Amino acid sequence: MSDLATRNTEGDIGRLSRRDFIKLGAAVGAAAGTLSLGSRRLMAMEQELGGDDISAVTGAQRQSVPYTCLACNIEDGGVAFVENGRIVKLEGNMDHPNTRGKLCAKGNSGFLHVYDPDRIMTPLLRTGKRGEGKWKRISYDEATSLLAKKLREVIDRAQSEGDEAILNEIVFKWGRNRTGGAVHRFMHALGSNTMINHTNICESSKKVGLEPSWGPDIESCDWANTKYIINFGSNVLETAYFMNPNAQRLVDGVVGNKAKLVSFDVRLSNTSGFADEAYFPYPGTDGVIALAMAHVIMNEGLYDAAFIRDWTNVTAEQLIAHLKPYTPEFAEQESTVPARDIRRIAREFATTKPATTFSYRGPAKHVYGAYQEAAIHMLNVITGNVEKKGGYCLPRGMDWPQPQPEPPKGKTASLLAAPPLYPLASHHVSTHVPYMIMKGEAKVSVWMHLYDNPVYTYPSSHVWAHLFKDEALLPFVVSFSPYMSETTELADLIIPDVTYLERHDPESMPSGLYPCLSIRQPVVKPLGGTQEFRQTLIDVIKKVDPDGSLGIQQYFAFNSVEDWMRAHFDAIPGLKDEGGWDLMKRKGVWPIYGQVDKTTAKLVDKNGNEVEPEYGLYKKPVPAADLEGAEVGEDGTIRKDGKAIGVRIGDQSYVGFGTPSRRIELYKQSFKDYGFNPLPVYKRLPSRDKRSDELVLTTFKVNVHTQSRTASIKYLAELYHKNPVWINPKTAAARGIADGDLIRVTSDVGHIVTRAHITEGIHPDVVAVSTACGHSAYGRLSQLKQKEAAEEWAQGGDPDITHNVWWDDKGVHPNPIIRLSVDPIGGSQGWYDTLVRVNKAEPGDHYGDVETSVEVSIKDYEQTLRLAYTGDLHRINHKEVDIDWDHLPQPALHAGGH
Amino acid sequence: MQTHHQTATQSSRPVASDETIEERAALSGLYKLIARCLEEELDRETLRLLRGALREPLSAAGWTLDADFFATAEDTLLEVLAEEYTGLLVAPGCVNPHASVFETGALFREPCDRAAAAYREAGFDYRRRLSGEFPDHIGTLLGFLGHLAEAEAEALRRGDTEAAEQARQRYDRFLLEQLGPWAPGWCQRAARAALHPFYRQVLQFTEQLLWQALAEITDRRGLKELLAKNRREPQKLDYNADFRKASGL
Ligand code: SF4
Repeated sequence: MSDLATRNTEGDIGRLSRRDFIKLGAAVGAAAGTLSLGSRRLMAMEQELGGDDISAVTGAQRQSVPYTCLACNIEDGGVAFVENGRIVKLEGNMDHPNTRGKLCAKGNSGFLHVYDPDRIMTPLLRTGKRGEGKWKRISYDEATSLLAKKLREVIDRAQSEGDEAILNEIVFKWGRNRTGGAVHRFMHALGSNTMINHTNICESSKKVGLEPSWGPDIESCDWANTKYIINFGSNVLETAYFMNPNAQRLVDGVVGNKAKLVSFDVRLSNTSGFADEAYFPYPGTDGVIALAMAHVIMNEGLYDAAFIRDWTNVTAEQLIAHLKPYTPEFAEQESTVPARDIRRIAREFATTKPATTFSYRGPAKHVYGAYQEAAIHMLNVITGNVEKKGGYCLPRGMDWPQPQPEPPKGKTASLLAAPPLYPLASHHVSTHVPYMIMKGEAKVSVWMHLYDNPVYTYPSSHVWAHLFKDEALLPFVVSFSPYMSETTELADLIIPDVTYLERHDPESMPSGLYPCLSIRQPVVKPLGGTQEFRQTLIDVIKKVDPDGSLGIQQYFAFNSVEDWMRAHFDAIPGLKDEGGWDLMKRKGVWPIYGQVDKTTAKLVDKNGNEVEPEYGLYKKPVPAADLEGAEVGEDGTIRKDGKAIGVRIGDQSYVGFGTPSRRIELYKQSFKDYGFNPLPVYKRLPSRDKRSDELVLTTFKVNVHTQSRTASIKYLAELYHKNPVWINPKTAAARGIADGDLIRVTSDVGHIVTRAHITEGIHPDVVAVSTACGHSAYGRLSQLKQKEAAEEWAQGGDPDITHNVWWDDKGVHPNPIIRLSVDPIGGSQGWYDTLVRVNKAEPGDHYGDVETSVEVSIKDYEQTLRLAYTGDLHRINHKEVDIDWDHLPQPALHAGGH
Repeated sequence: MQTHHQTATQSSRPVASDETIEERAALSGLYKLIARCLEEELDRETLRLLRGALREPLSAAGWTLDADFFATAEDTLLEVLAEEYTGLLVAPGCVNPHASVFETGALFREPCDRAAAAYREAGFDYRRRLSGEFPDHIGTLLGFLGHLAEAEAEALRRGDTEAAEQARQRYDRFLLEQLGPWAPGWCQRAARAALHPFYRQVLQFTEQLLWQALAEITDRRGLKELLAKNRREPQKLDYNADFRKASGL
């Protein structure tokens, strides 16, 4: 500027002094506040989410390709911007009604998965001992031939021995299966039912707390329109299910609609930090708080009498009697949350309309987590907030058809897939699989896994490592992972899938109140000639049944993967007329409900009017055609061909809820059949009776990581990579522990050596450790090996690793010392039921030390079976249930396949 | 793009003497040999060549393969070398053989485009044979140098000085811009990581060859710059991570 100010100019304009120059400039600046000066042609780039994107370097318009995110399981809609065949940026898809143009940090950095130098880019065949890290590169063709040969051997043996149960020795386990039915098609074609999910290390008890009551396995809160929210043990602003859409709407509700947020969590999560009121209950006591609130609401007559009468299978009197013991004072005794607050919040919740609860991991991941979830759910039912605008709504998903013909399920039920001692756990009990195999209860010939890392993600994870290392128990292990996880490094054959940005999947997630379909499609060609999993399945089946004589080739008779997608999408009514699969490729999502209003973030039509979601789904009338020939039972249930299709209330026929009575079944007969309490109850857990030197170990997720697979993402690892143990100052002081001290955390299974983070933000009887850190595999970044052996590790040549990793702490993983204990109802692992002793580290302890015992874990397995419905502890814990204990149903294999 | 200041010296202008033809043809042969050794697992034919006709000349050139290399049964050695190749240059945790990774920390970046463009300019199309391969693979880059040196020798042989000069310019530029700044240093690191003596020797030989080839076309200052670029010691970050509390937040 001084240059300009002192330069001589010719003509009429005289020399501009510095003072004049500043004065004039300031005056112009002030004027510009009201008048927009400057060029009207120049626009800031990327002003609008979902807008065009122009390369800042080349000026070229980038190609935008819609997709569905799978950096985590929320399945948000995204748009990838592609330049020169490379993904340069990811953004939220503005057409996705629940994502509304925003991705989280994980979603935004997802493209780093594609270009990760530690990605597995070619099939690898093990050459050394299992886990030794010796491999030979082979082609996809060789790899699929080898897998097909192994599978065919099992099929031939089953045929020659005339025993179809042998087919169940073919095992497929996943952590995430977002293939839209491809894995089931594959396994059913092979005749096996041994498909093992991961749900019981996640929220299966939440699902089982809800499903028998109203049908689906989760709620969809109308956050944006509510006035009162009670959050039980969910960190919805950072991580819980439907995190990104829910977090957006929660903020809309709290900020835009002035809703009150009350949060219960053992730890000051960011959600609790955002709340109007935060409480720190003792772990495993959310249920008793909810029951006490229900007690207040029922006893003070604050309930919705008409809703209970018409839409539940209980009476108000029944509930009042059942809830009698659950006074706020009793709840205070159990939870440490003051009775007066419980009472007040109950009144506020019941009298503020509309209101909703939300809950996730906190209540569900305990032994008897299903009761806790059912208790929380009940609060919404008795206050009549179900399916109201601003209330607690049913989830809304959409179905898509499967290509025909479809293979039938395998003929023999699988013991591993659905252990018979857990008949109510509709999402099964995958934690028990290694123990069952080690005990010889089931045999495995071929084990395949996709998006699954149990050697890291399961409780007492060392047991899984023990299983995978045993070649007698698992003779042939195939991983489809594109990353060398703790589990994949124990495989015999790796046939790497591509990343989620390079492959096809159909999707529909009930992540908001607008049901929609979405797709995954390769936004760039699979990198370096890698092959997507779906193509691998086609190739394997063709090689298992080369001449079609097994009759299974027909189920995979797709000319291409895209053909397979067309078969899903081209015949859907409505979508078909708009272009079917071709429309999905262009838009990524369907239907398009409207546009996002820039001020309110609501969906609006072209006239600017809000496109409201549909409410009151259960009150839709049963179609007249369906009523023809239907019968109405004494309780009002409308049945046709033996199936409940609706409920008659007064003179109206409604579709109702997805239960046998089509009403909300707060009373669950299925629970009672197995000796569980049919109504929500509180069961005091052993962790509530801990010794004074013990603490309850809990874990939590953070906003920039999934459980396991984001540790190799550079942006995210830089943001979060270490996980010291949160401990209350009083608790720490009593043990002589200072912030940052090396500590030993010991459970009955073993110990870890880690560091302390002293914070007021945690219950004094609890310690908390985040997941996602402390990897022993998953690439250079997650393992941080260069810090241990700089010289050697820098040889990998990645300059980011060599120069830019400023941290030297990768954290310590808590899972090895977390004890196996599952909810006998819902099957969830009791992640927050492990008691530990926390002390300063002992001489000779080193940061990251882990010591565990497989023998102790096996004892834990036996102990947890005692809680199952056939176990002795089950009877002791359910004395109140009026049932003939000597004639409980016999354990039976899940009939008809999975 | 590269920002180095090296300039091709006068020595890069081809002279149509028998000596030059012989020299360029020999250089081409060496590049092609190491390209074959590094671009993929060793195949039976190349192994036989190394153990047979090339044994003496290699040894004379200072590349003496150890006794085991000759004593081990062919099938066994091929298996052992395939395993070593995978661990060293293919599987996660390997010394990634792609310029993109060495330069940028990610697969398939601009070095890939630069290499592919140079191949195209010289009339080559890049087609991968196995998944996970890219145009900026060290083996392919070296093989391309081999083709350029061969093209020059052939042009000289038929007296086409214009074509020879074009090939030489392409060679000089490609060596200087696409390999010079990183490949010798990469060879050194990879040689250190190699568990099998064969790969250690191939890589050491390659490093030496590259420095010699670069010295021929670069002045002292340029060579010094290249040496510095190839060193790539881990940076000392002036960043104190300890200010962050133990929470890691
Ligand atoms: S929450 Fe984040 S990571 Fe998960 S699907 Fe949405 S954008 Fe992707």
